[in-house]
Amino acid sequence: MRDIEIDLAGNRFVIIGEQGPLRHALATALRQNGGASADTIAADLVIALYPLQPEDGPVPDLLPDLREHGQRMAAGSGGRLIMVISALASVPARRHPDYSAQMAFAWAGMRGLSMTLAPKVLVNAVGVGLVEDEGALLAGDRIMLGHAGLPRPGSVAEVVNAVLFLSDPANTYTTGQLLNVDGGWTVGYGRNF
Amino acid sequence: MRCDLDGRVAFVTGAAGAIGSAIARKFADNGGRVVIADINLEGARQLAATLPEALAVEVDIRDAAAVEAAVEATTGRYGRLDILVNNAGVNTFAHRVTLDQFPPEEWERVTSIDLDGLYLVSRAALQPMLAGGGGRIVNIASVVGMAAMRLQSAFVAAKAGIIHLTRSMALELGPRGVAVNAIAPGSIMTEGTRKLFYGVDGTFAGRTAEFMQHIPLGRPGTPEEIAEAALFLASPAAGYINGQLLAVDGGWTAGFSV
Repeated sequence: MRDIEIDLAGNRFVIIGEQGPLRHALATALRQNGGASADTIAADLVIALYPLQPEDGPVPDLLPDLREHGQRMAAGSGGRLIMVISALASVPARRHPDYSAQMAFAWAGMRGLSMTLAPKVLVNAVGVGLVEDEGALLAGDRIMLGHAGLPRPGSVAEVVNAVLFLSDPANTYTTGQLLNVDGGWTVGYGRNF
Repeated sequence: MRCDLDGRVAFVTGAAGAIGSAIARKFADNGGRVVIADINLEGARQLAATLPEALAVEVDIRDAAAVEAAVEATTGRYGRLDILVNNAGVNTFAHRVTLDQFPPEEWERVTSIDLDGLYLVSRAALQPMLAGGGGRIVNIASVVGMAAMRLQSAFVAAKAGIIHLTRSMALELGPRGVAVNAIAPGSIMTEGTRKLFYGVDGTFAGRTAEFMQHIPLGRPGTPEEIAEAALFLASPAAGYINGQLLAVDGGWTAGFSV
């Protein structure tokens, strides 16, 4: 058995935003759990992948696309929107102030969408901390490692698991929430003092 | 959702109650061996009789010796303890008053169960959990620990305490292999909360209808919806999630939705 199994039979998904290993892993996991990829019109599960490595410059704003998908879902049979953003949304980093601000903007946008699209559309987010994929940095900043509760980077599979949890058709009372997958980096001061 | 708990032993407090029993059933359905820990032994026994390999133990979580005995009964039966769900809790029904009138004995009753009891159970359960190489703890807090409400000051303070204690535990215990997270249930309809929502004689019905307008999903939740989140956070699938608070509240804490 896989770590987590959900029943997405009959669900059609679309992933927008970033390319890369996380997108591939997510698509694979959603199909393994019965989901089918769809064109943008027919989707009842839309996942928005934001850039997860802090960089200077503007971050693509995926909120307008999400709002359009959500409004279509709300006018139809409902659905889910899931944003995959950085954990820096809830704890801005001194070394990445502009990126942190843009992530916080995305987070606030998610919360707004959850209220305006309820009750037919559930809207949530995953906040990703330090994640490596086969030794390569995929998300976050390696400086985060010394301050997290868990003394290791996260994995792609652990991010995927959180998205699956929020996609779970039996998870029906969670909306407007940010679930950080960050080993506890956003929690507090992860040093002995 | 299915998560393979693979025979892990889960100690669930308040497990004879509505949310606790939903969590216990969910864990058992996913391969967990569940300890039904409750002050109501008869209720615990009745539930345990319906679940495979479950154990009922009587425990008043305010009593450190009783808590340690319950944990010893767990390790005596299974030889391990992998998951702790701190679910037991109470609110005030009879004393819906402002702080200047709040009776000290009621303050003591609520906080000694909701916060002190969680500490006592966690402390005891961590001994076998750490000896076994790690585990997962799920604390059941409340949305009132995030957004305060009137007339429940002891409950509000205790639940806010649980949320921050969760974070402290996560930072302390994460490096030793124990991940600690919390769930903040919103308005969950059970036989017990029906009285809280509507009053013994329906006195609060109007107030409750108004309150539901603040919940984007427009309805109370169910114990099963809390159990779904508890299963995920207690499972290996949530491996890198630590110190987090997940509100399962129909969107009530997402913002101001009126």
